[in-house]
Amino acid sequence: MREIVTIQVGGFANFIGSHFWNFQDELLGLAGDPNGDPIFKNQHLDMDVLYRTGETLQGIATYTPRLVSVNFQGSLGSMSSHGTLYDHNPPVPSHVVTWPGNVSTHLSEPHKKNLFLQSLYEEEQENLAPMDGINSGKNDCESEIQDKDIVESLENGVQFWTDFSKVHYHPQSLYELNGLWMDAQDFNNYGIGMDVFSEGLRGEEMNERLRFFVEECDHIQGIQFVVDDSGGFSSVAADFLENIADEYTNTPILLYTVRGPESYMNRRSRRQTMASDLHDAISFSRLSSFCKLIVPIGLPLLGRSKVSSYLCLEDEKPYHCSAVYAAALHSISLPFRMETLGPAMDSCYVSGAVDVYGLIQMLAGQARQNIVATLDAVMPAPSLTGKQVEQSLLGSLHPFTPEIAEDVEDLQEVESLTIHGAFGSGGYRASVSEVEDTVHAAYENATTKPLFSHLSVAHCPLPIPLPFPSIFGNLVGQHGELLGSPVMGGRPSRGSLDVHSIPMAARLRSTTAILPFLENRLGNLQRFGIARGASGTELLRSWGFAKDELEDTAERLSKMIMTLDPHSQSSSDSD
Amino acid sequence: MSLRVLNPNAEVLNKSAALHMNINAAKGLQDVLKTNLGPKGTIKMLVGGAGDIKLTKDGNTLLKEMQIQNPTAIMIARTAVAQDDTSGDGTTSTVLFIGELMKQSERYIDEGMHPRVLVDGFEIAKRATLQFLEKFKTPVVMGDEPDKEILKMVARTTLRTKLYEAMADQLTDIVVNAVLCIRKPEEGIDLFMVEIMHMRHKFDVDTRLVEGLVLDHGSRHPDMKRRAENCYILTSNVSLEYDKSEINAGFFYSSAEQREAMVAAERRQVDERVKKIIELKNKVCSGNDNNFVVINQKGIDPPSLDLLARAGIIALRRAKRRNMERLVLACGGEAVNSVDDLTPDCLGWAGLVYEHILGEEKYTFVENVKNPHSCTILIKGPNDHTIAQIKDAVRDGLRSVKNTMEDESVVLGAGAFEVAARQYLVNEVKKTVQGRAQLGVEAFADALLVVPKTLAENSGLDTQDVIIALTGEHDRGNVVGLNQHTGEPIDPHMEGIFDNYSVKRQIINSGPVIASQLLLVDEVIRAGRNMRKPN
Repeated sequence: MREIVTIQVGGFANFIGSHFWNFQDELLGLAGDPNGDPIFKNQHLDMDVLYRTGETLQGIATYTPRLVSVNFQGSLGSMSSHGTLYDHNPPVPSHVVTWPGNVSTHLSEPHKKNLFLQSLYEEEQENLAPMDGINSGKNDCESEIQDKDIVESLENGVQFWTDFSKVHYHPQSLYELNGLWMDAQDFNNYGIGMDVFSEGLRGEEMNERLRFFVEECDHIQGIQFVVDDSGGFSSVAADFLENIADEYTNTPILLYTVRGPESYMNRRSRRQTMASDLHDAISFSRLSSFCKLIVPIGLPLLGRSKVSSYLCLEDEKPYHCSAVYAAALHSISLPFRMETLGPAMDSCYVSGAVDVYGLIQMLAGQARQNIVATLDAVMPAPSLTGKQVEQSLLGSLHPFTPEIAEDVEDLQEVESLTIHGAFGSGGYRASVSEVEDTVHAAYENATTKPLFSHLSVAHCPLPIPLPFPSIFGNLVGQHGELLGSPVMGGRPSRGSLDVHSIPMAARLRSTTAILPFLENRLGNLQRFGIARGASGTELLRSWGFAKDELEDTAERLSKMIMTLDPHSQSSSDSD
Repeated sequence: MSLRVLNPNAEVLNKSAALHMNINAAKGLQDVLKTNLGPKGTIKMLVGGAGDIKLTKDGNTLLKEMQIQNPTAIMIARTAVAQDDTSGDGTTSTVLFIGELMKQSERYIDEGMHPRVLVDGFEIAKRATLQFLEKFKTPVVMGDEPDKEILKMVARTTLRTKLYEAMADQLTDIVVNAVLCIRKPEEGIDLFMVEIMHMRHKFDVDTRLVEGLVLDHGSRHPDMKRRAENCYILTSNVSLEYDKSEINAGFFYSSAEQREAMVAAERRQVDERVKKIIELKNKVCSGNDNNFVVINQKGIDPPSLDLLARAGIIALRRAKRRNMERLVLACGGEAVNSVDDLTPDCLGWAGLVYEHILGEEKYTFVENVKNPHSCTILIKGPNDHTIAQIKDAVRDGLRSVKNTMEDESVVLGAGAFEVAARQYLVNEVKKTVQGRAQLGVEAFADALLVVPKTLAENSGLDTQDVIIALTGEHDRGNVVGLNQHTGEPIDPHMEGIFDNYSVKRQIINSGPVIASQLLLVDEVIRAGRNMRKPN
């Protein structure tokens, strides 16, 4: 078994993580549900890759994500940082055993559990108490009404990522940066997070938490690291990654840098724009130097991008946007946990298993050592045999990575594509081999095709858990099929009550399309940071970057550009 | 007001408003921390939004837990936290002192005095007080055998302000012994060589010092022994798992067989390493019933664990990086990075190695070692917040012992130094100062009294009576501190109440600096978004 440890650092990363783990939890639940859709029964996915088994002090078995989540103090809302499984919150004691003198109690106002969390809690209490048959029938009826309210309350009132999380976390998983409060200050640039990791015992504690999960792994295949790189968490993550790269030298790290659309919104003045441009350059360069593959994710206008053709997203809600990215991350992570049956046997449920090392080797380790990959996805995926040409599956994949070129011809492109739950002709689920054949045929006929393409296929679609936001347009059917005409009546956006699962496709590409992304960063760094009399030198100095360090950073960026585009040499020399 | 022209949203506070804003912030912060001070202080129980409990009497922890918004208060809090970082204690005193300096200054400023003059007085008083501290301190000779009693007294003074007496006394022995254990002649004391481990188990009184090491993980093989006596310890940083070779090396196979062969070859390399360890074990353990324990910083995969288990070796993987150093200090031997040059000299020794399991948590105790230079304080407690509180106290206790050994001196506590320094400033220094700076010296002197005053207040005593009694006794030529129970003057030396010299010096040094800066502010401008919560 090849374990993966997941690390989530920063606000938006944890929003994505929360959705990601909700998907996993839903898959687990559906697999064990006797009345469930048979398609979820035989997933042929090894969940132990992401999850660990343990037991509480009372000897109750637990199954929790192998996860370290890092965030501000106070960002957990109504969830205790010890999780919910191991430690039923003791009532506030009336006296203190360790101090004979006076005690003064300072109660923060307790965060109210929203309807969703309340219903989870009630469900748990019911499971503990023996149920009686007659009552349960009645409850179903009641809960039907409630589900609607739950969805509505989530739509309107998600403040913390824990508000819509249905997963139990291990007490070691949720780490709050002690003394660093949410909203206490503007935590929006690389410089401000510089000392956060090393201050106090924070770095040590984060390393300890990670070690706890790694020590349990018999054979770790890699670390999946998601960081919100829109602010000070970049530097926290960079320091953390540096430690990890040092301690677990041979463990491959797959890094996703994510940001929500709202992080693009506060660029009002020129000074702010410059600060965030410099932040982007520094943070990208630093983060990329400690991982084996980096995937930048996060469009400035997600709701209006091509990605959302069948979705109605509200950009200002991280709850919405993170759901889309989480779905893509889920798809990318499927091949890491597909059960391999030996080379001779072809499974009819999954194919194309690859481990983290294999994926990285494929994308970044071949002839062109480009460590930056782009993420494209389509949600929901159209059926394999779309009637209209523009709806064909490959053509409908749209980038989640910002600032990349469209329609570039790159003869050395390498990609890894995952398709799961896709429909074939006639509205039934396509078999694995059917998907494979169609995709291969599509590439045969295409005018441009990548140098190398890896395809992973799973039969099982993406389940939509109850706390998933209502972001589907009215052309999306109950199983994620695309309808010819809008669903009549009802709301314009459809959520988990109407849509139960969707087919998904996502791919990672190593391509020259990323060049503008890299060039922008290098250009900004040179313009604002390095050039003579640059307006940002002062700012960078306050972040602790001296000139020679910046030149190294620029060098690293231009090297990355060179691996993709050997002809760019002349332009970087002239700077 | 030219700023208004540039930015109509800017708020400008004029001189006196700015000053009062600073003074009020300082006083506010002082009020919050005031009740913490001393062995009669109030413990604070903080309950978070999700019901998480935190118990603390430590000013440092409290400052970190409060979401301070006021910029002045942030400045003071930063100074206080820096105080804790450098000397490990004295956060509360620093905040109180700064607050009191501001309060005393307010009186004079309201009477029309210019802050500049006060600040000059502070500077003179500060220098004089630091000189006085040099005379007042009690030197302690450390040498090869430090005076354990004096170390205990310092540690006890600190711990009794954090925990109830019996617990404090128990911890006093633990922290003093721990520091003495890791102390090496001619070298600085690295407190990281004291491991602090906690178990949520039993009661706080079960907290103890383990001469040796406690690791928070166990062996990962069912056939390995759970308890072994007379053990050789191999401390290593060698990968015993089948790793794919370094990424980017780029291997290309032309056939499946070739790939299999490659994998087999790599596996063989790992097995070779394991075999070398087994050979060493056989060499040192043949003919006796000693045991062999491998503690590895890197991973050990199941096939390797299997080989080791079959050879009767206990193996732990992924040990903390710091434990590599601690193990060598505790057990002897040396940490090896490669199995190529293994000799029996690399091995350490422990009389007893055993595993303790609590739910899913495993602990491995490495005990009965010969002359340890590293040890573990094992904290036990019934719940997380009690453990956290004891842990904070232990850290402070360790720091106080370390400071004493490094300072080679201590200062009499219970307010004795403050009273003496105040009298010195008022009776002697003030006379030598020309002009109105005298008043600055006086304000400084009175501000020093905040420590005995607050101690008295927290004990429910009348502050006026106490100060009069103390100064009176002092002027009779005795060095006196405050008895917390009766309010009578006592001799701190007799009672064994000592504070750290470096902590006191740091307070005297940093307090006036911040207070002066705050007093000299003559305009506060709020313009950027930085000053407030983003909205």
